[in-house]
Amino acid sequence: MRKQRQRDAVWKFLTYSFVIVMTLGMMVPLYWMMVAATLPQEEFLQFPPRLYPGTAFFDNLAVLHEETDFLISIWNSVFIAVVYTVLSVLLCSMAGFAFAKYEFRFKEPIFYTILATLILPIQLLVIPLFLMMSQIGWTDTFRAIIIPWLANPIGIFLMRQNMKSIPDALLESARMDGATEFQIFYRIALPAMRSSVAALAIILFLFQWDLFLYPLVILEDSANYTIPVALSGLEESRRVNFDQIMVASSLAIIPMAILFLILQKQFVSGILAGSLKE
Amino acid sequence: MATNSESRGWTRSELWDRFRTIRRRITATLPALSREQVAYVLISPFFIIFGIFLLFPVVYTVYLSFFEYQGIGDGTLFFIDLGPIFVQVPEIADLQFIGFGNYSRMLGDGLFWQAMFNTTYILVIQVPIMIGLALALAIALNAAFLRAKGVFRTAIALPVSANIVAYSTIFVILFNETGFINYLLATIGVEPIEWLRSEFWARKTIVTAVTWRWTGYNMIILLAGLQTIPQQLYEAAEIDGANRWQKFRYVTLPQLRPVLLFVVVLSTIGTFKLFAEPYVITGGGPTNATITIVQYIYREAFVGSPNLGYASALTVVFVAIVSVISIAQIKLGGDE
Amino acid sequence: MDTMSNDHTGGYNRRRLLQGSAALGLAAFAGCVGTEPDDDNGADDADDGADADGMADEIDVWGWDIAARAMMLTAEEYEAEHGGTINVEEFGREAMKEDLRSRLTAGSGAPDVAMLEMIDGPAEIDTGAILEISDRLDEAGIEDDFVEGAWASLTDDDGAYAIPWDIGPTAVYYRRDVYDEHGLEADAIETWDDFIEEGQKLPDDVYMTEIPENDLDGVWRYQFRQLGNRPFTEDGEVNIYNDDSIQIAETIKRLYDEDVGRLIEGWSPAWFDAYGAGDIASLPSAAWMEGTLRDELPETDGLWGVYRIPAHEEGGPRASNWGGSSLMIPSQIDGAERDRAWDFITWTLATDEMQLLMYDEYGLFPALETTYENEEVFDEELDFYDGQPARRLFADVAEEMPEYEYSVNTPEVSDAINNHFFAMLRDDLDPEEAVENAAEEVADRTDRELA
Repeated sequence: MRKQRQRDAVWKFLTYSFVIVMTLGMMVPLYWMMVAATLPQEEFLQFPPRLYPGTAFFDNLAVLHEETDFLISIWNSVFIAVVYTVLSVLLCSMAGFAFAKYEFRFKEPIFYTILATLILPIQLLVIPLFLMMSQIGWTDTFRAIIIPWLANPIGIFLMRQNMKSIPDALLESARMDGATEFQIFYRIALPAMRSSVAALAIILFLFQWDLFLYPLVILEDSANYTIPVALSGLEESRRVNFDQIMVASSLAIIPMAILFLILQKQFVSGILAGSLKE
Repeated sequence: MATNSESRGWTRSELWDRFRTIRRRITATLPALSREQVAYVLISPFFIIFGIFLLFPVVYTVYLSFFEYQGIGDGTLFFIDLGPIFVQVPEIADLQFIGFGNYSRMLGDGLFWQAMFNTTYILVIQVPIMIGLALALAIALNAAFLRAKGVFRTAIALPVSANIVAYSTIFVILFNETGFINYLLATIGVEPIEWLRSEFWARKTIVTAVTWRWTGYNMIILLAGLQTIPQQLYEAAEIDGANRWQKFRYVTLPQLRPVLLFVVVLSTIGTFKLFAEPYVITGGGPTNATITIVQYIYREAFVGSPNLGYASALTVVFVAIVSVISIAQIKLGGDE
Repeated sequence: MDTMSNDHTGGYNRRRLLQGSAALGLAAFAGCVGTEPDDDNGADDADDGADADGMADEIDVWGWDIAARAMMLTAEEYEAEHGGTINVEEFGREAMKEDLRSRLTAGSGAPDVAMLEMIDGPAEIDTGAILEISDRLDEAGIEDDFVEGAWASLTDDDGAYAIPWDIGPTAVYYRRDVYDEHGLEADAIETWDDFIEEGQKLPDDVYMTEIPENDLDGVWRYQFRQLGNRPFTEDGEVNIYNDDSIQIAETIKRLYDEDVGRLIEGWSPAWFDAYGAGDIASLPSAAWMEGTLRDELPETDGLWGVYRIPAHEEGGPRASNWGGSSLMIPSQIDGAERDRAWDFITWTLATDEMQLLMYDEYGLFPALETTYENEEVFDEELDFYDGQPARRLFADVAEEMPEYEYSVNTPEVSDAINNHFFAMLRDDLDPEEAVENAAEEVADRTDRELA
């Protein structure tokens, strides 16, 4: 018994050490980014780099604000990413559910086709997509940024993999109780997948959050710019304005951090456990 | 909303009733769908959106891959006039048909093979390290005894939210010849390493940067996967006297397999599509040691002359190769 | 290239055929289908919103960074003088190139006027996306007002496509305080040999010059131009493997081997830091560098001087050019917008006042040669240079600089030179071998013969 407790203690120690070391490793570049945001350009350029915060954060912020409509860009990015995530979570979960829990003809080829679209480099689709958007008059609109990527192959794939763990018995018993297939989807499958839906939301949000080349070409009015597009304007002819980029990037982390914290609650073990009757 | 409905004499619950009645009526009029039909309905949004927005760019890319791009077109490809409806499709490009010319050019294109090699090299090192770390972190952060889970999870996942240009710049500065990493190495007596100048180390720098940004992301996905494993399975294993390793080997791994497979396929594709990091951190150098395939495609299309035909052919081959690899992974991963 | 043009008619027919079949396929659904819409349907609205001169009321102008800000100045003056509304949009450099490339290629959505770097000139002109302006140039009679060396990359066999804006006459910037402290004589430097000799007077921790590891092609190019050479022959053969190139490679390698030059990433934080601290004493660059040094290293104001870039042999040429840009009108712009765009471009670039205004405010060195006659501006003793009338030196260099033509394959040349020169320094390779390898790589990637 004592031996067991000792072994548990060692295991706990190792786990904590690993998690703490990794956390520190992850935080070092981020910490330094935030330090850089508080330094005037000259001090930031010093070698060896300064490792504690300075006082120029608000000066840098003021310059950033002068050069770009950065607060508006944050809002644009959040708005686009949220609308996209909500709609896309639904579409991806639906398709993922179909692939995980139904048998239909051409299931495999259809799935692999969807997978292949995941591999397409967006860079080359930008020109024909812009052409289409200008033909239908969608340039400089958010819908042009949101809609083409709604049925996201990553999301479909993820939900297909996760929904496989829903026991068939659970779905069968619901059918016997007279539930329609759609009710089974949104009453049973979706709630059982809370943590997966949360992970999906992060994936989709991030996908939009990171898009650069496509919104750059589609958006015209700087009041419509998303964060990466606005940041691209800070690049001088041959160099970038480090201080402003660091300020902007530090600020841009906040919405993501909020998203993580909100979705935190969804990461609870054993949702399926309760519903599993064997 | 509330005041509106009240002024019309509806109460909230009456509205809801009305809504339910309408919904029931619609449901009743819908033809009874077989399960196969339900599945088709569920996947149809993908194909509708794909068909409207992405089919043309994809078909156009394949089409272009058989042509040499000679410049912009002038005039009209064709137009359709139906009285009030007038659609005019401009001739966007001056193209010269060269059959499989772009494809045969690829065979002798040293830079294409170099880019393919670089990408594969980075991938083979980066993906296993990242997924190993992500899995270990996910299991650790799922442990019941761990406190402040939320803080750790958020901290480890945060790098993914860093803007790519900003974080790449940070890595350039950290890994510079006179940067912070070499400074740290010097304090423990290690000679400075040429992180960005040597071909060997430049690739490792890219691996480090990509791993830093994406480990937390994969950790989140794996964590979500871990949490769909029914707790009873562990309880049953414990009753059978399984130790930690056996529980991992016989419960966690098989149960997590679909999600693990997803993470492997997604990371493989993601690293194959690597673009921004080498673009900012090394610019593809030194001596083309870190130019990736998507970076090469981008260069052909956007830098210097727009070689859209060749860039398209590169894309077609790239998608074909990565598709085969992904499908092989899925098959080998025991996907039923 | 020749074989391609022979095939061209065949390809053209094939294309027509494809278009025809596409049109036929749709004919079943359409009331009227064709490939040449008649005027009613095809009419553009170019004449809407035009003023009495037939010029559009409003145009969009794209530029990046200080170039955009400079145009905001001239736009203000233009609006006051000529009316109309000029919307200048400021971008980042790469972002604008990407956005513009997409819109030019798609054939719609491009701005009415856009900035074009000379280095990108031939590639963009080759796509047909840029309006040919020879007739308008002739009519305005302004071609000869510009430095002769500035036109080459903006023209092809058919004519001119853009008006030169700024250029980059070369010079070596040096820190007077560092030179003085260690007894270096700027006046004594005429050749690279002198340069290295003087540089050896510096202590071990101070370097004479930078060797920009990411911009070795830029170094090669300005010296290659200085020697009056160009990377492709008239027939399009690769002309990189020759004595001039080898001489340049040897010069760079000597700077490195004799520890006179510090290998460093150009424009990196460490680079700015080194120049700020005086750890590197000289910077071979161009007229536009002044603005950057003023902005980034304000504490060095008054410590700088310039002299002409060293010659490779005694009495050799000491003038070249590094960088430069122009303004162009996309060919998709027509009618009243085109007229307004032209009016704005000539106002901005072909009038002395505007060019001098932009030079004064943003350090964009004018390609407009007539401005050099303005002694008040060009002979001014500048505090930044400790009283040296540096602008006159740049103007003299500008008038002497050899012509140089970029090509559609400039990116391949840049890559090859940069990679092989870097490998030469890092792996201690023979300069001649590096040049030969670079030439072969260019020939291989561009499907050309070696000259």
